Amino acid sequence: MNGYAGKILQVNLTHRKIATIPTSKYEQWIGGHGMGSAIFFDLVKDKTIDGFDPANVVTLMTSPLSGTLTPAGAARTEVQGIGVQSVPIGWFTRSNFGGRFSSMLKYAGWDGIVIEGQADEPVWLDIRNDTVTIRNCSDLSLWGTDTWECQKKIWEYVAGNQLYGDWMEPAGKLGGQTTQRPAVLTIGPAGENLSRIACMIHDAGSGAGQGGFGAVWGSKRLKAVSVIGTGSIRVNNPKGLLQARLWQKKNYAFNLDHLKRRFLSVDFQSPPTPGTMYRQGKPSTGKRPQACIGCHSGCRGRYEDGLGNEATCFATIFYLFADTLDVQRKACDLLNRYGLNAAEMLWGELYLRDLHRADILGPGKEIDCPLKFENYGKFEFAEQLVKMIAYRNDGLGKTHPFGDDLAEGFVRAAKKWGRLDGDNGDLKTGRLLFPFWGLPRHKEARSQLDWAYGTILGDRDINEHGFDQLRSNPTYNKRWKIPLYGSAEEVVKIYTDKMVPFQGDMRMLDFSAENMYSEHIAKLVTWHRYYTRFWKQSAQFCDWRWPDFLNLYAPNKVGSTGIAEPKFLNAVTGGNFSFLDGIELGKKIWNLDHAIWTLQGRHRDIVHFADYYYSQPSFSLSGHPEYMPGRENGKWQYIQTLGRHFDKDKFEEFKTRFYHQQGWDTNTGYPTAGTLKSLGLNSVAVELEQNGKLGKG
Amino acid sequence: MIISTMNDINQKMTSGTDKRVSRRYFLRVAGTVAIGVGVGGYTAVKEALPKIIKLADGRSGIPVSGGYLLVDVKKCQGCMSCMLACSLVNEGVENLSLSRIQVIQNSFDKWPDDVTIEPCRQCVDPACVNACAQEALKADARFGNVRRVVDVEKCIGCGACVEECPYTPSRPIMVPAENHGGDLKARKCELCANAPYHWDPLGGGPGGKQACVEVCPVGAIQFATEVPEQEGESGYKVNLRDSTWSALGYPRR
Repeated sequence: MNGYAGKILQVNLTHRKIATIPTSKYEQWIGGHGMGSAIFFDLVKDKTIDGFDPANVVTLMTSPLSGTLTPAGAARTEVQGIGVQSVPIGWFTRSNFGGRFSSMLKYAGWDGIVIEGQADEPVWLDIRNDTVTIRNCSDLSLWGTDTWECQKKIWEYVAGNQLYGDWMEPAGKLGGQTTQRPAVLTIGPAGENLSRIACMIHDAGSGAGQGGFGAVWGSKRLKAVSVIGTGSIRVNNPKGLLQARLWQKKNYAFNLDHLKRRFLSVDFQSPPTPGTMYRQGKPSTGKRPQACIGCHSGCRGRYEDGLGNEATCFATIFYLFADTLDVQRKACDLLNRYGLNAAEMLWGELYLRDLHRADILGPGKEIDCPLKFENYGKFEFAEQLVKMIAYRNDGLGKTHPFGDDLAEGFVRAAKKWGRLDGDNGDLKTGRLLFPFWGLPRHKEARSQLDWAYGTILGDRDINEHGFDQLRSNPTYNKRWKIPLYGSAEEVVKIYTDKMVPFQGDMRMLDFSAENMYSEHIAKLVTWHRYYTRFWKQSAQFCDWRWPDFLNLYAPNKVGSTGIAEPKFLNAVTGGNFSFLDGIELGKKIWNLDHAIWTLQGRHRDIVHFADYYYSQPSFSLSGHPEYMPGRENGKWQYIQTLGRHFDKDKFEEFKTRFYHQQGWDTNTGYPTAGTLKSLGLNSVAVELEQNGKLGKG
Repeated sequence: MIISTMNDINQKMTSGTDKRVSRRYFLRVAGTVAIGVGVGGYTAVKEALPKIIKLADGRSGIPVSGGYLLVDVKKCQGCMSCMLACSLVNEGVENLSLSRIQVIQNSFDKWPDDVTIEPCRQCVDPACVNACAQEALKADARFGNVRRVVDVEKCIGCGACVEECPYTPSRPIMVPAENHGGDLKARKCELCANAPYHWDPLGGGPGGKQACVEVCPVGAIQFATEVPEQEGESGYKVNLRDSTWSALGYPRR
């Protein structure tokens, strides 16, 4: 099996047993998310269990592309299982992280890891090629360490008396040699103490943030997984893979001698630029871009002062009103070290600030809060906040229920404080910016409809940037005079021409208010669900670099998506898998996921945004208008999209359109036998029927 | 001037019918010029003077490589694409351990100490070649240049070349050879000259394309024909950052 190690590691922590699953059993799913969902479906008999139940299964899956020369497609690891973050139900969900972990797992001879059960004491997993050992944390005093300290301790342990930088034999004399450090995925104190907003961290800043998987590992008493591999990944067509890489580089990647843009963009053509968004700008200290393995364009940085190494995106926005840039960078590091979800922390911290400024929250106030707001802006404030959530106390070492409240996540905390009650509840006014499933906002989704619908019809903030340039480019053009990629009509045509099997329907990208609930937008959401479920989350092309719709380096600006993805996959596997094959497999995976959510309790009646999304106008944090393509008076333009909200009745109509398009029961949202069987998901239909959850039609 | 003289020597090796340079010729030319440029420079060359290397036809000569890989450790983005490309074109698989160029990094360290790149230096005085009692490591002028290649048939997998390489990590590596029953055979960077999975019809080597150079997304690896300063690392670890790089916000220093 070219591109595969051939086996999946199955670890039962309860019985401390190691087993293997032949990858061929799940090969039809290609890799990543598809494999993870199928394994989860097979192994978790009762899908209604809580995420903290020892029977919950967490999968870490690679793809055939992991560890290969595929640009921005070699480094992701897909994490799945029942999460503990969302409300009212902890959905079967996913997270994902980059770095070196998935490649190292493949080099060690494993296509994935399946984690079951609950250890009787804290443990970590030591993988050195085929040798897998469940070790007690007590031997290295790992439990209680932060994520960076934990990794360093494991590195030291695996090295033994050998030195990194020289050839070493981590698996013994017959186990091959490497110069590399083990790739370690670990939880911090937040995960150990079961905070529902705990994440997992690998290296300095690769994080799997969503779902609260840090806490799920904490409940399993699993501190870390370390893997070092010295083996090979077989490639069907080595020359073809290298030629594809150079073709992609020559025609679609940034050209340092002829840069079209100097700033980071979330697409293939972006030059390597750290994706930091610190309020006071980029650090002026010496730095390099830092890329995941195989990536052509790093989106992180490492710095001369070591602050904020590898940090990106939400982590770098946290503590927005820190006094100085360096305080914000240090606060960012706190999130990675203690292992907390950066998005939840960003919006949660601002919520606390708001309540404090309104004289609602503070020592002895309506909400008794031990945070020392006199330190606001200083590092000490961020440290106290992070620690109080990580340790469930007052952040200074003393017991206090406030830390407990926040560790449950900000929506649960607000509910406990009574802040969600009545007509002026914080999710009705929009004071608490958590619009979907109790999860924090990301993009202004009342504008970016792919984001809104994809999230509410799914399980988590989709965090999929495939269409984000449609907003950012025209918006920054208006604001900072950055050149447009093209006219609205030109850009929309380039994008929609690639959206097989719906290609050519340009109104899929008409973001006008009149088109918000249309059949066209339903097709956009459908295509996006299928594309990402397969090409991003199963084949594991990176979200920040794919799809390559519009590319300023390419002839006529037509990017490589549609051609490139299968070119790389087939060069590695030797298959003859088309882009459309991937979209169709994405449909199957999406249906499998939806079936699991249905078994968990999903019904169309609970598929709703937070109330404020139906009453409060959309806005940007900067206060500046945002623009997206749309039709106005019959013409394509970049139209201003802020200031609008969803209509509840029309959203109901949209759901009906979407469910109909999926072939699901429009009354309940349940999958139907006909649809599932047409996708080869017969056993899924049987399980739904046994549970009274099979849709009619 | 020393470097240019070395290149003169290289020219002798790569042009005309006589592709070899005798030790005597090398000493005469290098020595003469070295005296002219001062003691410090001479010392560097003197210490780098190669021992006699037996060529394929049994004659002795002192070939220098037709090319060298120069790297910029401050520019490298740590993606390890060079390593993936190296193992792919040379072994047909993806395996960091089989890469002739090694990128080693620590994500918790500070720039620029967080990354190092260690390519084969194609030493003027190659300890690996000198260590090989089997003459498996030798010069080969097939491509109109000189360099050191591994004759897999002769290699007995003793590892002497690995042991004697004075650099860390050692640049020669031992690889299980599929067509030799999995026996360990020595491999080292040949600038892709003998890469069995080379993508380009014209192939690699000093006159062709090197996978790591071609693949590196940020231009942190450069092919050069001039002999780098042999003492220390400065000849190989160079500054490849230009104004475009600094326009992206990265230091040129």
